[in-house]
Amino acid sequence: MGQTVKLKLNSRITYVDLVHQMTEDMARRCRFPKPAALDLALAVREAFINAVKHGNGMDEAKQVEVEFERNASRFLVSIRDEGNGFDPTLTADPRAAENLERTSGRGIFFMKSFVDEVSFQRRPGRGMEVLLVKNLAPPAKRTEEPGGDQ
Amino acid sequence: MKASVRHHGKVTVVDLSGKITIGDGDIKLREAVNALLDEGRKAVILNLNGVSYMDSAGIGELVACYKRAAEKGAKLKLLNPGGKVQDLLILTRLQEIFEIYRDEREALTSF
Repeated sequence: MGQTVKLKLNSRITYVDLVHQMTEDMARRCRFPKPAALDLALAVREAFINAVKHGNGMDEAKQVEVEFERNASRFLVSIRDEGNGFDPTLTADPRAAENLERTSGRGIFFMKSFVDEVSFQRRPGRGMEVLLVKNLAPPAKRTEEPGGDQ
Repeated sequence: MKASVRHHGKVTVVDLSGKITIGDGDIKLREAVNALLDEGRKAVILNLNGVSYMDSAGIGELVACYKRAAEKGAKLKLLNPGGKVQDLLILTRLQEIFEIYRDEREALTSF
């Protein structure tokens, strides 16, 4: 059965390290290897920054909700803002030659790179929700010992 | 993030450690590089060996430092990016714009 933890934070960039650390710690407790837990935390970090900056427009009175849910095979994190949201389709490809020297515009690319699924849902009148999903790799198969199935 | 500066003749090495992320590491990186450029330093190596990871803001600041250096007629090169930082440089294709070295002596003599 899944477990859910929900955080409600004011729109402050300074909270991003807290969100990052919580994500990494929870992912580690869910048996994610350290590199995978860091990847998930980096994706959540980018989604949280987007929610604060582009979703809520740095308005500290508005909140960002971060919901963690785990089940047997994957870890889901929803990041919801209360602003007008942002259009994820408007971001240029940061790996295109003409964009390599841009100093911003890599946040959504990082999200997509570090988790298995990313979806964006505009919630009319209630802001944007970003859902990040990281699959837990199946445990390595045990090597059968010779004659072990007798 | 911490930044400490060493001078080897005309070349300056900035040893960075910790994480280069929004609101802390990115600002310290900007301040460290700006100070060197303001002093007129033309050859700067960022030693990334002690950097554990960067976020998009940190990567963006790295690019901004590279561009500011170029605007001031200086060159900024990278040394020893490890694990996650190396992955990020490849992922973002920034290894195509930065000169990246594994050996400090080689980096020092490259200017």
